[in-house]
Amino acid sequence: MSTLIVISILAIVVLYLGLFKAKQALLPISVLGLVAALALAIMEWNSNAAPIFSGMMHFDNFAVAFSSICIITTILVFLLSKNYFEKISDNVAEYYTLILFALSGIIVMVSYHNLSMLFVGLEIMSVSLYILAGIKRKDFASNEAALKYFLMGAFSTGFLLFGIALIYGASKSFDLAVIAQYVIDRPTGIDPIFYVGLVLMIVGLCFKVGAAPFHFWTPDVYEGAPTLITAFMSTVVKIAGFAAFLRLFSICFAPLQDFWMPTLLVITILTLFVGNITALYQTNFKRMLAFSSISHAGYMLFAIVALGAASTNAIFIYAAAYAVSSITAFAVLMLVKAKTGSENFEDFNGLAKSNPFLAFALTVAMLSFAGIPLTAGFIGKFFVFNAALAQYHTWLVAIAVVNAIIGVFYYFKVIVAMYFKDNQTKQIATPAYFNFVLGVSLIITLVLGIYPSFITNLF
Amino acid sequence: MENITSTIQAVPLNHYILLSAIIFTIGVIGVLVRRNAIIIFMSVELMLNAVNLLLAAFSSYSGDASGQVFVFFIMALAAAEVAVGLAIIVMVYRNTSSIDINILNRLKW
Amino acid sequence: MSAPVDYLPIIMQLLVALGFVALTMGITHLIGPKRKTTDVKLTAFESGIEVIGNARQPFSIKYFVVAILFVLFDVEVIFMYPWAVNFREFGLNGLIEMFIFMGTLLLGFIYVIKKKALEWD
Repeated sequence: MSTLIVISILAIVVLYLGLFKAKQALLPISVLGLVAALALAIMEWNSNAAPIFSGMMHFDNFAVAFSSICIITTILVFLLSKNYFEKISDNVAEYYTLILFALSGIIVMVSYHNLSMLFVGLEIMSVSLYILAGIKRKDFASNEAALKYFLMGAFSTGFLLFGIALIYGASKSFDLAVIAQYVIDRPTGIDPIFYVGLVLMIVGLCFKVGAAPFHFWTPDVYEGAPTLITAFMSTVVKIAGFAAFLRLFSICFAPLQDFWMPTLLVITILTLFVGNITALYQTNFKRMLAFSSISHAGYMLFAIVALGAASTNAIFIYAAAYAVSSITAFAVLMLVKAKTGSENFEDFNGLAKSNPFLAFALTVAMLSFAGIPLTAGFIGKFFVFNAALAQYHTWLVAIAVVNAIIGVFYYFKVIVAMYFKDNQTKQIATPAYFNFVLGVSLIITLVLGIYPSFITNLF
Repeated sequence: MENITSTIQAVPLNHYILLSAIIFTIGVIGVLVRRNAIIIFMSVELMLNAVNLLLAAFSSYSGDASGQVFVFFIMALAAAEVAVGLAIIVMVYRNTSSIDINILNRLKW
Repeated sequence: MSAPVDYLPIIMQLLVALGFVALTMGITHLIGPKRKTTDVKLTAFESGIEVIGNARQPFSIKYFVVAILFVLFDVEVIFMYPWAVNFREFGLNGLIEMFIFMGTLLLGFIYVIKKKALEWD
């Protein structure tokens, strides 16, 4: 709760710092503020908080865990943004502000206890992101990304809202606890409009997290938006979307699993195949990451399909592993792009010779994406599959394993390009910030992969 | 207030649900078939307003004001979306002199 | 509670409105001064430079910013209605919360002014 207030005030402070031309102070103050917010969030761990603001929000352990991971990832994104925004536009302060506003929306999204707060949080996040996607005003791809994202986002919000309205009509409340009670009180004879509302909410949320068949905007938006914003969208925003998804389903709709499970199952399988198979054919690294993010959405949906006690933990670990690997991948991509001017696989040729550290960090990130043991990604996949196996979805796990193997192919393309293809390129100068972020991500990936026990028993 | 409530309740609840569903569907179809960004945007607003109508009806029928408060939130956030959305459309128009979404095909697989 | 006869006032109002429009148009047509006009006289500048182009041109984009900002700040007022209705029940806390809300809006407005978004040139 104090986390949310700190982040909102921080956003306004940063905005005004920009007005008064204190450009040098923007980054340190943003990062310091976020560290303070992170500390405040962690302090609320296990405090057994009750719902606050008349039952609007509830900072339970779930909220604390997902807020923390979102804040940490945002800090990493901010550290990468040194000198990045200055290059693409003059209004630097606004970018920091918008990211912070998006983050405050995300905090609301992971800690809501009332459907109206889900909507408000989602919209605060989305509206900030529409602007962020279109930051490069003169760049056509950025414009297109912003317009597509905006139209698709507004469209999906419509579905989500209609679903909320129908659920309100049936249960007469927006409060999650009341809705859950409504479902429990009626083992049979739930109002049919409740089911319709549930399906519409699934559609709206799948749009937001970019699950197939509602994924069409994802690759275009991820490719068109500035790389750093893409990094933010594909990590923090995706995690927040899944946290909101999971929170809603685990609190409210768990008893109705027989009804929504088949729908979500089909969506999951489609997402896995669409993401992985299309990613195979990409030649653009950024676009490949976009499709791979769709497939990772599929793996995370897995844990929701097999909703149970272990789901929260599984999604949390998967999200943490995915976030740090993505940050690494995007950081290296930014450096390579600054050097070569394009984002194709060939641009990574010979990176191992010129920049061994960059190549190593990217290799570990790719291995983690692919789910190779001793990396965080393996632990994430292990827990997600375990949650599914606990519910006897054996063939579903088989499909997921097939997809993981497909994934290995395209992730290894990059590694092959870096280590086994030659290209006489000069060394890329890496700023200290980048080395720091890459080092931190590398350490987190390896430590989680080797000693997962200190994160696996959080819930 | 009682007067308004009884006026709203003079129409059966099912009629409100049907009307909202129809308006919502018109909005969805508008988004899917029209090619002009502004008209797509207007269709989205139509969807949101169908939701508003439905919420107001449910709220009146269940005697619970929270549905109407939700309508306020939808209105305020729709206004924010309008501001950002129109700004994006103007930005695209400045660069391309067109708001037909068929030009948005440079990013493709 | 709503017999067809209850809608009579609406029809009356409709008739009155239509009648007023028709009446004013008719009367001005009858009693207004008449001029013999030619096509030349109807042009915008009878003696001067020929008119170029259509009057229906896109208007200045600056108006757009003002309009959007108006809509934004205007819509926020709806949150004051329920607050005003329940003003007494909310007491001092409600007042403080509304001040925080308005203060946030004010910060946004100051930002708009500082960014010179409202200056026309």
